[in-house]
Amino acid sequence: MKFAIEREAILKPLQTITGVVERRQTLPILSNILLSANGQGLSMTATDLEVEMIARLPTDINEGGDITLPARKMVDICKALPEGAIIDLTYDADKERATLKSGRSRFNLTTLPVSEFPNIDEVKGVFSFSVPQSVLKRLIDKTSFAMAQQDVRYYLNGLMIEVDNGVIRAVATDGHRLAVCEHTADVSPGEKIQVILPRKGVLELSRLLTDEDTPVNITIGNNHLCVTLGEYTFTSKLVDGKFPDYQRVIPRNSDKLVIADRERLRQALVRTSILSNEKYRGIRIHLEDGLLQAQANNPEMEEAEEEIEVDYTGPELDIGFNVGYLLDALNAIDTAHVNIAFGDANSSCVVQPEGDSGCTYVVMPMRL
Amino acid sequence: MAHNEAWPRAIILVDMNAFFAAIEQRDHAEWRGRAVAITNGLTGTCIITSSYEARAQGIRTGMRLREARRLCPDLIQCPARPGRYAEVSTRIMAELRSITPDVEVFSVDEAFLDVTHCQRLLGPPEQIARLTKAAVFKASGLLSSVGVSGDKTTAKYAAKLDKPDGLTVIPPWEARARLRDVPVTELCGIGPGIGAFLAARGVVTCGDMARLPIGVLAQRFGNPGRRIWFMAQGADPEPLRPDVPPPKTIGHGKVMPPDTRERDVIETYLLHMSEKVAARLRRHAMSAQHFSIGLRSRDGWLGERAQSTRPTHDGRVIMGLCRAMLAGQWRGQGVYQVQVTALDPRRAASQLTLFDDETAQGPSSNAAMDAINDRYGEFTLAPARLLNRSNMPNVIAPAWKPFGHRQTIQDAAADKTGG
Repeated sequence: MKFAIEREAILKPLQTITGVVERRQTLPILSNILLSANGQGLSMTATDLEVEMIARLPTDINEGGDITLPARKMVDICKALPEGAIIDLTYDADKERATLKSGRSRFNLTTLPVSEFPNIDEVKGVFSFSVPQSVLKRLIDKTSFAMAQQDVRYYLNGLMIEVDNGVIRAVATDGHRLAVCEHTADVSPGEKIQVILPRKGVLELSRLLTDEDTPVNITIGNNHLCVTLGEYTFTSKLVDGKFPDYQRVIPRNSDKLVIADRERLRQALVRTSILSNEKYRGIRIHLEDGLLQAQANNPEMEEAEEEIEVDYTGPELDIGFNVGYLLDALNAIDTAHVNIAFGDANSSCVVQPEGDSGCTYVVMPMRL
Repeated sequence: MAHNEAWPRAIILVDMNAFFAAIEQRDHAEWRGRAVAITNGLTGTCIITSSYEARAQGIRTGMRLREARRLCPDLIQCPARPGRYAEVSTRIMAELRSITPDVEVFSVDEAFLDVTHCQRLLGPPEQIARLTKAAVFKASGLLSSVGVSGDKTTAKYAAKLDKPDGLTVIPPWEARARLRDVPVTELCGIGPGIGAFLAARGVVTCGDMARLPIGVLAQRFGNPGRRIWFMAQGADPEPLRPDVPPPKTIGHGKVMPPDTRERDVIETYLLHMSEKVAARLRRHAMSAQHFSIGLRSRDGWLGERAQSTRPTHDGRVIMGLCRAMLAGQWRGQGVYQVQVTALDPRRAASQLTLFDDETAQGPSSNAAMDAINDRYGEFTLAPARLLNRSNMPNVIAPAWKPFGHRQTIQDAAADKTGG
């Protein structure tokens, strides 16, 4: 293998795919990326056996071939070379070593056999569709914060993607709060499709996407989800499990409706949270005519109190929440006002942006 | 300098003399003036503590009974009654709280009192110290040694100087001079490790400390290091800690007959410990999700960290984890000790959940069982299998406290039922 490429052309794709590579590995080959060079250019692959990311670069290849190289070292070297540097890579099959040269810099890198590099089976598509990448990014960014982390209920450590006729939906929950975001899409799968994308795949996919409207192609297979975007292909295994019935836990008849200035409420809660218990983060919310009070105290008996005017005309209500959950929801909302619907002190509240934005956040209270 | 004014800080340490043995001598008039050694039940062979008469003949805590009998043939062996000691300790601590609310129960037989703010009401610290001794005597009929100074470390050092039944006052302005020639390792909290670190830097006595830059200690030991620097100069800044800090872990362990290989017996021990841990979590309204489960064999500990689906305080759930550990790790080898520890006890979830199928808090029968056991003693009501549990008595830990999660021994009822 032999080719030359400009630093700027290879650095960004390299950085994008190496997010997949875990820092600590049991299989040495997983610290490496696969480089394949042929007439169409160069393709680079990184995998952790669960998520695979491929970047393709059109570039002139002097001599084709496949090798694997240590991912992090490759990124660090390319990053540290001066702007505009031309990177020259050659592979010496006898010594099983690759040489990276640029100007008067020279690096000799070990390789591992290409045959050891795991490749995910070809995804047998069950259903394929296209959406603007901004839509997919929005679905992920508005919901993924609510995913569980290392929960024993492994199916919560991921994002549920639901495709129904005319709509695509993302749902995440950790059992205490729930985030749902949906968007109209030109899809007609016939029967509703539900898949769970594992946490790491979600985070990597979000990193890959931008707010542009260029289309991404999504293929859902029996065990995989595959996203193609320009020169990148992202493939992730799916979580084999049943996602809980999220529709059932979205309250439909909460009667105590509050309309608040989102940013003022958010800032008040941020300040209140400073004196909440660091571990449990409980705050008390008191509602009365036209007024929302937030109150927190910590084990040192310090106390914070905030008051903001809101649009509310119902009866008085006292309810406790993990302030982190409320703030996560408020941070994900970008409208000027926010609607919050409460039931009683033991029922979940529904937080929604004003207007019809397709986003819904459900937060269970804390007993105080 | 006139010292008629109130001390800027006044700390009293009360130390009950040979606490367990003194209680036994008070309860058994015929043992007064004689060598008494406390052991764990009649089966225990290790001396937990002994009376002053026994100590005079060379008996030490930790000594084997056989060795002690050689030194002192007429030694009286007395099985420990942890429930009784807990009861006396609780009464003493309550009486101390009538002097000041600022009481830190340091161990089952030691307490700090911060009397800084009582001086106008009760008089000079020395007078309050006398009141303290009288309060201990009133509550228990026992003698105590009391140290008074301007900080915790000096007060504790002072209490050691005159035992039994002593009262030592080191006014704060004399503390530095009084400690000058005292080896640093005499101070509470400076063990041989830190002692060696200090000695290597030329600090042997407290007086040497001033020459060592505080940063040297801070760099090696952080804030506790800074505290040591002040301690040696009679200026320990540590405040009293009247509240029991929340537990980092809650665990129970037991020694089994040597080389136990019967799965049934091991499971009974594991269930016994699981139920104890669960009951203690429930008593303090806590739950835990991570547990360490261990079996000790001659080759060391085998076991694992296990995780339950949800935070739990149900003995059956913990036992389920124990069974999984047994299936995965135990290969039939002989074991002689079990340990079950909740690693992340926290206040039982006040956070409500979205999906109700996940309330793994255990059945309401736990509450009924707890109510009965609180009244009639530990394990009055228990899984049937625990009829075969070990009858080794519960041991009272030095860290026992009359309230909070360290109240591992509840009252006299616990003694009757055993562990």
